[in-house]
Amino acid sequence: MSDHLPSATLSALADGELSSDQLVLANEHLASCPQCTSNALAQSLLKSATARAGQRYAPPSDLQGRMARLVSEEAARAPGLAAPMPHRASWRFSSFGWPALAALLLVAAGLFSVQRWTQQYSTSSESAGVVTEACDQHVATLAVNAPPEVVSSDRHTVKPWFQGKIPFSFNLPQALPGDTTLDGANLTYLHGQPTAQLLYSVGKHRVSVFLRQRTAQSGQNSLFINRSGFHVTGFRTADLEVVAISDVDAVRLVDLADRIERAQGTALGQ
Amino acid sequence: MTLLPWKRPVHKSGPQTSTFEDLALPLLPSLYNVAVWLSRNPADAEDLVQETFLKALRGFATFEPGSNFKAWIFRILRNTYLTSRSGLAAMRTVALEEELEERDDSGPRLVPEGAIDRQTPEVNLMRLSDRAALQAAMEKLAPPLLEVILLCDVEEMKYREIAAVLEIPIGTVMSRIARARTALRGLLQVNAPMPRESSDGGGIS
Repeated sequence: MSDHLPSATLSALADGELSSDQLVLANEHLASCPQCTSNALAQSLLKSATARAGQRYAPPSDLQGRMARLVSEEAARAPGLAAPMPHRASWRFSSFGWPALAALLLVAAGLFSVQRWTQQYSTSSESAGVVTEACDQHVATLAVNAPPEVVSSDRHTVKPWFQGKIPFSFNLPQALPGDTTLDGANLTYLHGQPTAQLLYSVGKHRVSVFLRQRTAQSGQNSLFINRSGFHVTGFRTADLEVVAISDVDAVRLVDLADRIERAQGTALGQ
Repeated sequence: MTLLPWKRPVHKSGPQTSTFEDLALPLLPSLYNVAVWLSRNPADAEDLVQETFLKALRGFATFEPGSNFKAWIFRILRNTYLTSRSGLAAMRTVALEEELEERDDSGPRLVPEGAIDRQTPEVNLMRLSDRAALQAAMEKLAPPLLEVILLCDVEEMKYREIAAVLEIPIGTVMSRIARARTALRGLLQVNAPMPRESSDGGGIS
């Protein structure tokens, strides 16, 4: 390995932010490169030193009391302010008034074509965890820039590749939009479950679609959220839980997810 | 492949009943520390923290129970800072930084990689153990670089949390942290005394 590890990789190594795949690659390189090993050590030392040096300013002794008073005064002025609402749907509705409701309805109607966009996604802890993991697997895939484990634009090659590797099967859509191509797939794990990561390109944007077996902890059947600058959409069938992530525009991501959803052939509950 | 190493459960079972006070007050020292670093002025920092608390309290109904409160309130602090007097003054630097970042994505680094290798490990250790020198170097960092270092190293936030606070992609967080550390190393070298060949080295306390 002749190229040195980039500073972003060394930095992420010090921060414990490399995926296991990236970590293996980095360790392989470090084993044979004293310069990068020295740099990695320097990064770790710098991180711990800045952690100490950065803790520099302690709040004045009375600030805690003042803030506590401020909070209780505000809370007394507007009861219920200091406690979170259990569901966003009931979010201070009365303060909006009917004109605001009408405006909201108009907005909702305008976005009907991307139905997931407007749906509230009840983030059960597992769902949130899966989305977060999936998001970071996607970022890790982009960062590694390595070819997929199975490289093929042929769905009849990609699907059989998973035989014996995952305890479920799935279908890939036959027809894709003009600028969308299947790049390949990886076997990965989300929440400890074997997961198929399908890799698509929409123009120059990369898309990861994660498919795994549906679990007992089932939230709503579809989601659309933004996470760390990425659009995340997903759906559940009777057997599968699917999450698609990309920085491509929301409409095209949802379109791809829809096609994958339809390809499963099973009717989905909404 | 196993689960990503940073994965950690953040949700407790059962409905969340924490009040704003329960969640916010323990974070006051962290918020204040970052506020002084950013505003570089204790009085401004107090105002910043107070305004952050008020904004957060008034918007607490929009906070989704079970999600990351720390990232949420730090985002409010950061946005409040950006619209403050000192924050507005730093905005030009932020804009410049973004330009540099875009240009820097695939091109050569502003500070050459591996620069620290020009020094001996002993000298590096001594330098890093000099808290005042490191703080002086941090003060010279551009605000966008300083804030990622504070969130990552001091507040021990994960990249995805920092991305949520700064409202930027994780990839940008990653590259910005790397740039911040490279800049810090460069600053420490520039301000360093000449290395001595036979240094015994100093341990980091």
